[in-house]
Amino acid sequence: MSVLIEATAPPSVEPRGALRSFLRHRMGVIGAAMLALAVFVAVAAPVLAPYDPYANVRVSILDIYQAPSGEHFLGTDDGGKDVFSSLLYGARVSLIAGFAAAAIALFIGGLVGIVAGYRGGWVGSVLMRITDFFLVIPDLALQIVLVAIIGPSLGTIIFVIGILGWTTTARLVRSQALTVRERKYVMRARAIGAGDAHILRRHILPAVLPLMLANMVLVISLAILSESTLAFLGLGDPTVISWGQMLNFAFGRGAVSAGAWWALLPPGFAIVWVVLGTTLLGTALEDALNPRLKRHHLEAAGSDVARGRDVPTLDAPTLAMTGSSADASPILRVRDLSIEFDTTAGPKLAVEGVSFDLNRGETLGLVGESGCGKTTTVLGVLRLLPPGGRVVSGSVWFDGDDLLGIDGPALRSFRWTRLSLVFQGAMNALNPVRTVGDQIAEAVRLHAPGTTKREAADQVAELLERVGIGRRRANEYPHTYSGGMRQRAMIALALSCGPDVIVADEPTTALDVMIQAQILELLGGIARDFGTGIIIVTHDLGVVAQVCDRVVVMYGGGVAEENQAATLFREPQHPYTQELLQSFPDLAHPDRPLRGIPGSPPRIDDMPVGCRFAPRCPHAFDRCGAERPPDYPAAGGRAACFLLDPEERGS
Amino acid sequence: MSGRGGYLLRKIGWALLTIFVVITFNFVLFRVLPGDPAKSGLRDPRLNPAAVEALRERFGIDKPVFLNLEGGNPFDSQFVAYFGALSRGDLGTSYAFRDQPVSELIGQALGNTLWLILPSQFLAIVFGASLGLFAAWRRGRALDVTALTFSLFMWSLPTFFLGIILLIIGANWFGLPTAGRITIGAGFESPLDVAIDVGRHLILPTLTLTLVLLGEYMLIMRSSVLDVFGEDYILTARAKGLSTYRIIRHHALRNAILPMVTLIALNLGFTVSGAIQVEAVYSWPGLGALTVNAVGDRDFPVLQGAFLLIAVAVVLANLIAELIYGWLDPRVSEA
Repeated sequence: MSVLIEATAPPSVEPRGALRSFLRHRMGVIGAAMLALAVFVAVAAPVLAPYDPYANVRVSILDIYQAPSGEHFLGTDDGGKDVFSSLLYGARVSLIAGFAAAAIALFIGGLVGIVAGYRGGWVGSVLMRITDFFLVIPDLALQIVLVAIIGPSLGTIIFVIGILGWTTTARLVRSQALTVRERKYVMRARAIGAGDAHILRRHILPAVLPLMLANMVLVISLAILSESTLAFLGLGDPTVISWGQMLNFAFGRGAVSAGAWWALLPPGFAIVWVVLGTTLLGTALEDALNPRLKRHHLEAAGSDVARGRDVPTLDAPTLAMTGSSADASPILRVRDLSIEFDTTAGPKLAVEGVSFDLNRGETLGLVGESGCGKTTTVLGVLRLLPPGGRVVSGSVWFDGDDLLGIDGPALRSFRWTRLSLVFQGAMNALNPVRTVGDQIAEAVRLHAPGTTKREAADQVAELLERVGIGRRRANEYPHTYSGGMRQRAMIALALSCGPDVIVADEPTTALDVMIQAQILELLGGIARDFGTGIIIVTHDLGVVAQVCDRVVVMYGGGVAEENQAATLFREPQHPYTQELLQSFPDLAHPDRPLRGIPGSPPRIDDMPVGCRFAPRCPHAFDRCGAERPPDYPAAGGRAACFLLDPEERGS
Repeated sequence: MSGRGGYLLRKIGWALLTIFVVITFNFVLFRVLPGDPAKSGLRDPRLNPAAVEALRERFGIDKPVFLNLEGGNPFDSQFVAYFGALSRGDLGTSYAFRDQPVSELIGQALGNTLWLILPSQFLAIVFGASLGLFAAWRRGRALDVTALTFSLFMWSLPTFFLGIILLIIGANWFGLPTAGRITIGAGFESPLDVAIDVGRHLILPTLTLTLVLLGEYMLIMRSSVLDVFGEDYILTARAKGLSTYRIIRHHALRNAILPMVTLIALNLGFTVSGAIQVEAVYSWPGLGALTVNAVGDRDFPVLQGAFLLIAVAVVLANLIAELIYGWLDPRVSEA
C-alpha cells in the first residue's frame, strides 16, 4: 500500500528539509526561546539580581518569610534572603548541572552505542547486557546511594547523574549504527579496503550525530530534573543555591505553615520552565529528523465521501463501455470516480474520472506502475480511504445501489457479504494475536447472527479446505503459516460470507513463482465456481495474462486504456500500454529487447496539464501537452490518446 | 510448547543473573567506596590496635574481600559471608535505630510503600490507557491535544513539586492530613476508624503518584495504539464490516497492550523514583523515606538493604511483565 503513503505524505519531507520542518514546528521555537531566556538569566544573574544571595548578611527574625514587596520582588526565604535573586542565581546551577551531566551521559552512551552497534559480536552483546542491567536499576535510588557514599557536592551530583543517564542514548545510537553499518555504501567502502577509523568518521558519525543532538536536549531535561530532585531530597551541594535546594529549605523549614507560597512556587515553576523548554525543543528536533506520518485506519475525522458529490446517473452516456459484452449484467459499475487527498499544498486529485464495469464471474485486471492510483481507486470503491482522502465526484453502483450513498450499519452489513478484500502479501492483514480460524469465524458470525460456534467452526474448516489448508491448522496463529498459506487463509477469509465481488490488491507480490501460480489458479477457480466477480490490482502483467478476462490500464490517476485481455496484449492502443508491454518479458519472443519506461509517473501535486503520460510519451505532440485526451473507441476497447482521434489520423 | 517453555526459562534465568549482579554490585559499592562510618571510624588515631582488630572482626572486614587465596577455606571471605547472611534474610543491624534488624525495618517500610504504589499504579494504568486510547482514536482533535499538553506538563513538573502543590491545596481547602501514615495520639475506637484515618492519609500521596504516572502511561498507550491503528489487520477488520467499537475491543486493544506491558516494566524505575519523592513530601513511612532518612543518618546498613530490596523488586516486577507478555503474544516462542 505504498501508494497511499506516497499519496498522503506531505511532498516536502526530505532530510534536507529538517531545518525548515523544525522551524515550522512552533513548539520547537517556543522551547528554544524558553531555554534561551533561562540561559540569559543564568549568565546575567549578577547584573539582574538586586541582592547577592551568596553574601553573608546578618538577618533578624523579622526578615524571614517576608511577603513580596517593592524591596523584595518575590519576598524572602527561610534565611531572610531575597527569593528573586536566589531564583536568578539558581538558573546557573540547574543549567550547569544539566549540560555537564548530559555531556557525560552522551559521551558514554555514544561510545557504548557505536561500539556495540558497529563492532557487534560478543563485545556488542556484553555491552548491551550491561545497558539492560542499568536500564532495570531504578535511577533515583542508585543516585541517592552513590551521593550518600561519595558525599554531596555539585561535582558528585553531575558525575552521578551523568554515569547513570546514558542508557537510552546507547540504545538509540546502537540501533542507528547497526542500520548504517548494513547500508550499501558502507559495505562498499569496506569492500574497497577502507579502515574502521575512516568508516566511523565518514559514515557512522554523520549518521549518528543528528540523532544524538536531539537526544542530548532530552537528556539535558532529564538531568535538570534529577539535579533538582536530589537537591530537594537534601542531597544537594550545601554550598550552592539551586532551585531544588531552595524548595528543600523552604519546604523543610515551615514555608507551608507560614503560608509563604512565594518561597515555594517560584523555584518550582522555574524548574518546570526549563524542563518544559528543553522537552519541547528536543521533541521538535526528533520530529524534524525523523518525521513520521502514521497511517491511521480508524480515524473518526471527516467523511470519505464529499458532501455535494456530483452523482452521474447510469443512463448518462459516460462512454460506450465497449469492453463489456452487451448481454452481461455488470454487478459493479464505477462511473467518473474522482478522489482527492489533502496535501500540504491543499487538496489534490489522486484519481480523476475513472469509469469501469465488472460482470459477475469476470476477472478484471487493474494495472499500472506504483503511484498510478490503482489502490486509491479500489479503496474509494470499498469505502476504505485513509483520512485526508475523499471521493469528490462520481458514483459506484453495486447491483443497482449507489455504494457511495450508504453509511453506518447499512454499509457495515454490506461489507464482506457483498464485497470482500484480499490484501497485498497478507503479511499483516491477519491479526497476529488471534488464530486464523477465529478471525474467519468472526466474519461468519458477524454477518450471520445466530450461527453457533460449532457451525462457524465447521464453516471455517470447509473454507480452509477449499483453499488447500488442512482443517487442523485453523487453531494456529498467522505467524506459523508460510507466506503462501497466509495468502490462502486471507482468500478463505474473503470467501467466508459468499461475496459477489472480491478485490485482490497485489495478491501475489512477495510470493515465489510457484506459489503465485497456485494463488492465481485458486482465484480463477473461485470466479468460475461461484460466479464471483474479481478485481485484481497489480503491476505485474504476468498475473494479468494468467487470469484476467479484461484489463483496465491506469496511469496518473486516470484510465489510459481498457480492453479484453487477449486483445490488449495483441494490439495495445495507448502508448503507455505499449511501453508497459515492452518492459515486460515476452516468452513467445525471448529475443525482443526489454526496455524500461524512462521517468516515473507524475506525483499528485505535480500533474501535467494535458495528457498525463505526455512527458514520457515517445509519440507526444503539441496537443498532448495542452489538452487532456478523452476516451476513443479502439480495437474493440477504448483508449485515452489523441493518436486515436479520427481527426488527428486524418491529418 | 517447548518454544514457550524455553522463553520462560530464558527470562527466569536472566532475572536470576540480574539479581546476582545486583547483589554483587551492592556489595562492592558499599565495600569499595569510601564513606561508611564503620570503616572511617577505624582510622580514628585514638583507637588502639586491639580495639581496631576487634571492630574489624565485628564488622567482618578482617577477611579477604572476594576469595580467600591465602590457604584455608577459599570461601572464607567477606563476599561469601554477605551472601550467606542474605540467604538467611540477615541484612545486618541499623546504626540509627539501635539493634533493630535492617530486615525488620525495611519489611515494614515495604508494606507501606506497596500501599502507596499499587493503588496508584492501578489507577494510572486504567486511566492512562483509556485516555491514551481515546487520544489516539481522535488524533489531532481537541481531546488529543488536551491530553498531550497535560502529559507534557506533567512530565516537566517535578514529582516533589506536584506533591507540594497538592499538599497545600489538600491541607487548606480540603483539610486532608499531609504527613505520616496515621494521626498520632488519636484515640481510635475501632479498626474501621484506623482504616479510615490511614485511608485519609493516603489520599494526597496516591493522587500525586497517580497523576505523575498517568501522563507517562497515556503517552505510551497513545503511541502504541497509533502504531496498531496503522496496521493492515485493522483495515481488514474494517473491510469485514466490524464496528469501530468491535475493532478496538477485539483487534486493536490486545496488540496495543503488548508494547504497553514492556514499557510499563521498563518504566518501573520511574515509578520508584516517583514513590521516593512522594514519600519524602508526605513523610509516608515507606522505603523511599527510609532511604532518604538513612542518608541523613549515615545509616549504611539500612541504605544498603533498602537499595537491594528496591532493585530486586524491580527486577522481579520486570520478570512478571515479561511473563505476561509471553502469555499475551503467541509469537514469543519464535523469538
